[in-house]
Amino acid sequence: MISEKLKNVILKELNLKDFDFTESTTADQVPGWDSLSHINIILAIEKDFNIRFKGMEIMKMKNLGDLQKIVDSKLNSKVA
Amino acid sequence: MFNGIDFEKLFNLFVYDQYDPLLFGTSLFLFLFFGLLIVYRLVQNQKQLRVFLLIVFSLFFYYKVSGLFFSLLILSSIINFYAGKFIKCTSNSKRKLIFITTVLLNLALLGYFKYTNFFIQIISDLNLAHWDALEILLPIGISFYTFKALSYVIEIYLENIEPEENFFHFLLYISFFPNIMAGPIDRPGEFLPQINKSPVLNNKQIGFALLLIVSGLFKKAVIADYLSLNFVDRVFDFPVRFTGVENLLAVYGYGLQIYCDFSGYTDMALGIALLLGYNLMENFRWPYKATSISDFWRRWHISLSSWLLDYVFKPLQIKLRNLKIWGNALAILITFVAIGFWHGASWLYILFGFIHGFYIAFSLFVQKPKRALYDKLGLTGSKLLRVFQVIVTFHLVSFAWIFFRARSFENAFGMLRQIFTYFHSEVFMQFIVAYKPVVAMMVIGYLLHFLPNAFEKKSAEFLSKIPVVLQAAILAIMIWIVVQVRSADIQPFIYFQY
Repeated sequence: MISEKLKNVILKELNLKDFDFTESTTADQVPGWDSLSHINIILAIEKDFNIRFKGMEIMKMKNLGDLQKIVDSKLNSKVA
Repeated sequence: MFNGIDFEKLFNLFVYDQYDPLLFGTSLFLFLFFGLLIVYRLVQNQKQLRVFLLIVFSLFFYYKVSGLFFSLLILSSIINFYAGKFIKCTSNSKRKLIFITTVLLNLALLGYFKYTNFFIQIISDLNLAHWDALEILLPIGISFYTFKALSYVIEIYLENIEPEENFFHFLLYISFFPNIMAGPIDRPGEFLPQINKSPVLNNKQIGFALLLIVSGLFKKAVIADYLSLNFVDRVFDFPVRFTGVENLLAVYGYGLQIYCDFSGYTDMALGIALLLGYNLMENFRWPYKATSISDFWRRWHISLSSWLLDYVFKPLQIKLRNLKIWGNALAILITFVAIGFWHGASWLYILFGFIHGFYIAFSLFVQKPKRALYDKLGLTGSKLLRVFQVIVTFHLVSFAWIFFRARSFENAFGMLRQIFTYFHSEVFMQFIVAYKPVVAMMVIGYLLHFLPNAFEKKSAEFLSKIPVVLQAAILAIMIWIVVQVRSADIQPFIYFQY
């Protein structure tokens, strides 16, 4: 499941009204999500969730499901 | 009965000759390839024999173009094959060390052959020391196969693929003759699994492969070679002898020449690989139909641009992300300077890369006001805007080609000076009359390029549906045209020097 918060950050950054994100969604399926806007989305997520990704984590993400998992694990480790 | 055969001559056909490399489209290549296909069909159901045959042919092919440098291919394959294994089975801290060492080793090999004299020259120019240039021959295709090898270790490091178990499969990936000399720079994740697939083709695929080979030969031998020998080279060699009109047309001509040369080669490589049962990566997608420079790089030499996008631009962009838009711009500039430098050790190539990087970086900053302006004028999404963008992009690309092709800065600036201060538009009509075949070739070449994409799809469908006899007749006519028009010898492909 892609959380509402993550979805909204992405929609806002890409100037989209709505998009049906699933765990298997990849960047090239989303209008406007290209190699240049990718980093803006990452920055927006880092800011809104108050987390920091490692370089390798970003390089390894293949789809939205991967992104959600990393965000969740960062949030969980913060709580712990 | 063998009295008529000169055995020494026959033997020499199989020995490396620096001045007579084996090229696609030459009769010797076609003869050998035909022989390979027959044997390949006989062993197509035996994987080991099939792979072995392709490796032997590939190494022989590379020996015929690069002599003893074929041993470098084997060395590079051994290093990267075992590096891949070590990266996979090593724990975190050492893993990074092995990875970086392997990348540096590959770059050192490439750097030695390609850039040593460039740096010696810089050191001499700066008066730091005075060394003589070394006599270093560049192994053909080294930039292409080194990038393939690097792609393999990087993908393993990023855990996108598993290391290949079989060394011979990996050796085939590195040395596969259709793409060894000028790409496409295929990715291991796409190529390696194909080795295990049966290479049996249906008639439609065979027809498509032959069409690719013949249309590639047509682009190369008819359009590119003709334009280059009869017009483009003359102007680029001595731009100040010509008016601005001729210089401008030579720039347009070069745009078409390099496209037909390189994409023609790629079509042949794709067709040849397909006949062996392999789908290579798409490298061109009507590049001059691009509506922006970044769009151009999604359509031009895709296997190189996507390589640098994935392995250079992305990590840089991530590292520099705190600089926001400036980080993006800097990552773009560095990536494109690397693209320029990849082409060769010359400041002209570096400038070529920098110009493209600058275009894209600049467009980042003006993106918002540009969009607002188009919205205000009601142009967003209109055909008119599209045409305007295609024309502007084409000219920006053409401007950069001047530095890519010119032999010196003096020539490049001479060309620009002629175009902007010595144009003489009245020469245009004289030019059309005097250079009819050149003009016809350019018009046909660009027209074919700008035909709607659906046209190519429909003609391929049409060709696959017509009877075999008609297909053969069309192929024969195309080959006849190639033979009639082509220059005495097929010119070396532009991208072989990179």
